[in-house]
This record gives sequence, structure tokens and C-alpha cells, in this order.
Amino acid sequence: MSAVDITTTGMVFCFLLLIIPIFISYQLKLKLINPTLESSLRMTLQLIFVGFFLTFVFDLNSSLLNMLWVIVMIIVASYTVLRDSELKQGSLIVPLAGSFAFANIGILLYFNNFVIGLTDTLEARYLIPIAGMVIGNSLRANIVAINDFCYQIQRDENRYLSSLSLGAEKYEALKPYMRKSLRNSLKPTIANMATVGIVYLPGMMTGQIIAGSSPLNAVEYQIAIMIAIYVSTVMNVMLGVLILMNKGFDRYGIFKKEMLKDA
Amino acid sequence: MEMIRMENLCVASEEQEILSKFNVSVAKGDKVLIKGRSGIGKTTLFRLILGFRIPVSGNIYFQGDKIDPGIAWDIRKKVTHISQNSDIGEGLVRNMIEEIFSYKVNKGMLDTNELHLLLSKLSLSKDILDKRFENLSGGEKQRIVIIISMLTKKTIFLLDEVTSSLDRSLKKTVVEMFLNNPSWTVIAISHDTEWERENVRVIDMERIQEDTNVCC
Repeated sequence: MSAVDITTTGMVFCFLLLIIPIFISYQLKLKLINPTLESSLRMTLQLIFVGFFLTFVFDLNSSLLNMLWVIVMIIVASYTVLRDSELKQGSLIVPLAGSFAFANIGILLYFNNFVIGLTDTLEARYLIPIAGMVIGNSLRANIVAINDFCYQIQRDENRYLSSLSLGAEKYEALKPYMRKSLRNSLKPTIANMATVGIVYLPGMMTGQIIAGSSPLNAVEYQIAIMIAIYVSTVMNVMLGVLILMNKGFDRYGIFKKEMLKDA
Repeated sequence: MEMIRMENLCVASEEQEILSKFNVSVAKGDKVLIKGRSGIGKTTLFRLILGFRIPVSGNIYFQGDKIDPGIAWDIRKKVTHISQNSDIGEGLVRNMIEEIFSYKVNKGMLDTNELHLLLSKLSLSKDILDKRFENLSGGEKQRIVIIISMLTKKTIFLLDEVTSSLDRSLKKTVVEMFLNNPSWTVIAISHDTEWERENVRVIDMERIQEDTNVCC
């Protein structure tokens, strides 16, 4: 048993639904008509491309190509973190991508090997979707953590300098900021774990059920993936903040404001 | 022994010159009061000594060593600085003190008896340790910061307006606490006349800045 194929007519019916948001936007002057059309179009094109691309990758199922694709995902993710944070690209992209690679690939290999127990750890059908979920989720948390850290260190600069003048080493003085930004960035993931199943059925589980897996089988995967996401998020966020603590301060221990975008 | 020497210091912000050709020498045990209107660069002097700011030109020496990043980290461990902004932390006062004394350099320095003694000397009750620092009044914060600075057992003090929110009699107590120890080196920035005493050298920044030439 596998999912019913959606026909072209079905897809047309699906796009017809967009008339509702367009109508609402028109009536309430939300100015969201163009963004709606643009985003829908972009999504469609991107996904069509990914559909063909993944078909190709899955058919080929070469370990090397699969791994390469994961690395491309990691680089794009690191780039996105810097783009969406307050920081300029430049000096941080290499260490950030490196730490992303270390944490995510580590978790992925562990997961495929010990949790799912694949004979081919790098099998495309598992590696790529799971990598997407793990990387995508830790990326959001990383943006929150980095922005939170930069914001705090600027807002409470006096506190930081006070700690330094009370004899603290850089890491001692930054510990409270690190703690706060880790907590703030991890809270959504923790809350997500606690509400899953009751408030919403996650996409992956829904997908598996539609594709014919038994709900229990889908639940197994969902539990495993949520834990993998949480662990890789913790690792990514911690490494991200450590990199910032290491690279973001000059030799006198002063925050490099020139790293910020609006500086 | 010379503790701090500043030679021909020039500091400028984007808009204006803050210090030009500034010279000063402070020896061990000296008591120095720095005066002058706001914005004239008094706080900048402290920031320079702590390595929080780098001069455009000129040199700063600490115990004979020219300041560089390594010396600056060292100075921060040997000097106690109280900034005029007493927003130095949050949470229970007790936990804040614990955090500060968990730093490697301060570890094992916390003397609870002395803490209680200082609290009563500055008219604070022990209950204040269980209040949240951010909810204290300006004067209470100032006193807690003064107490913390004294507990770290340093002998060089950079005090930036530490008596501004205290009442007359407390100002006097605090000034005496800092000035009466002959081995302490104290540099204070203040508008309070309580600091102007016989053994205190006064540096009037307004007078100095008037007769120096522009340098940067």
C-alpha cells in the first residue's frame, strides 16, 4: 500500500484554494497578494526541482553523492544562519560550517547506524530526509541563540565589563550570557517535544502514515527523530555560541561591534 | 612604587577629542580625586587603565609595564573598578556575590564575617542578601557594589562616582573607608566634596584641558 498519487486535476483543485487568502487579502488590503503568489510559485518550482533531483539521487544511491548532498545542506544552513542573524558573513562561516558538519554528521551516522540499524548507513532514502529535518531544526535554534547572545552582550555591556573588572576571565564573564541564549534557543524545541501528538501530528509521522506505515511504526520514527533533533540542536547551538565567544571578542575581551551588520 | 602612569594620552571619539596630552602618575598609597564637568573624559581614564578603550596615542604603564592585552587582563585582576553605572547584574544579591567569588582569581576570598560587618557598617541589614539586585534602590546597589569591591581584597581602587546616591553620613563613611587605609591606592571620580581632604590630590580635568593643545 502506498499513497494515492495526486492527479493534475487534484493539483489544480489544490491551487484553487489559494483564492481564499487572495480574496481576504484583497478585501482587507493586507497587501499579501503578490507575496502569496510569489511564495507559492517559488515553493512549487523548488519542490519540483528537488523532486526530480531526489529521484535521481535515490536511483543512483551513491554513498559519496549522498554525503556530498548533506554537506551542501550544511553549508547552505550555515550561510542562512549568518544571513538571518545580526552578523556579517566573513570570518564566521568556516568555523560555523565546520561545527555544523561535526555535530550533524555525527548525529546522523549514529542515528542511521545504531537507532535505525541500517546496513548501508549512507542510504539516500534515510540519510537525506533525516539530515534535512535535523539540520533544518537546529538552524532555527542557532539563529535565535546567536541573535540573543549579540543582543544581550550589547544591552548589558556594562555588566560584562564589570565582571571583567572584577577579575573574571572572558569565559567566566560570558557564562551568564551563554546560559541565557542557550536556554532561550532551546525552549521551543523542548516545548515541541512535550506537545507533539496532542496538539499536532508532525509532518514526518503524517507522511509515513499516508504512505502506508502503521501508526506505531510512524511513532517509533517520530520519537527517534525528535530526540535526534533535540540533541543535534543542543550541540549546534552550543558550538555556535562558543564560536561567537571565541571569534567575537578582541584581545582585550571587548565585543567586536564591527562584526554586526549595521555597524 | 609607581602604580599607574599615563603619558601624553590622546583619546578621541568620532565627534570630538576627549583627552589631549594627558599626563598623570599615581604611586602606591596615593589618594587621588578626579574632578571636572560631565563629558570631560573622567570615566574614559578608567576605561583606558582597564583596557576597555585604546588611546589614539600616548602610553599607559601599570606597575612599570606598558599596557597591552596581556597586561590589561592582569590589571583587571589586580584592580577593583566600580563603574558609575551600578547595573552590574541581576538575581539574588547572594547569588551575584557567589558568582563573582566563583571566578578563578577570587576563589576562596569570600569572608562571610567581613561581609556582615561591611553590611552593618553601611547601614544595610543581612536581609538584603535575599533580595533581587535589580529591585534595589540606587543607593542600595551602590553600597552592595562597594562591599563586593572591598571583599575582593584588592589594593588598587578605581571608583567612579561611588557615593553619588548616598546620603551625607554614608558618603562620609564610605570616603573614610577608602581613604583611611594607607596601603590602598585610590583614584576616585566624584562631584562630592566629602572626597576633598587634606591627603587627597585633586586633578581638575577642566583646568588641565584648558591649557593643552589639540593633538589628535
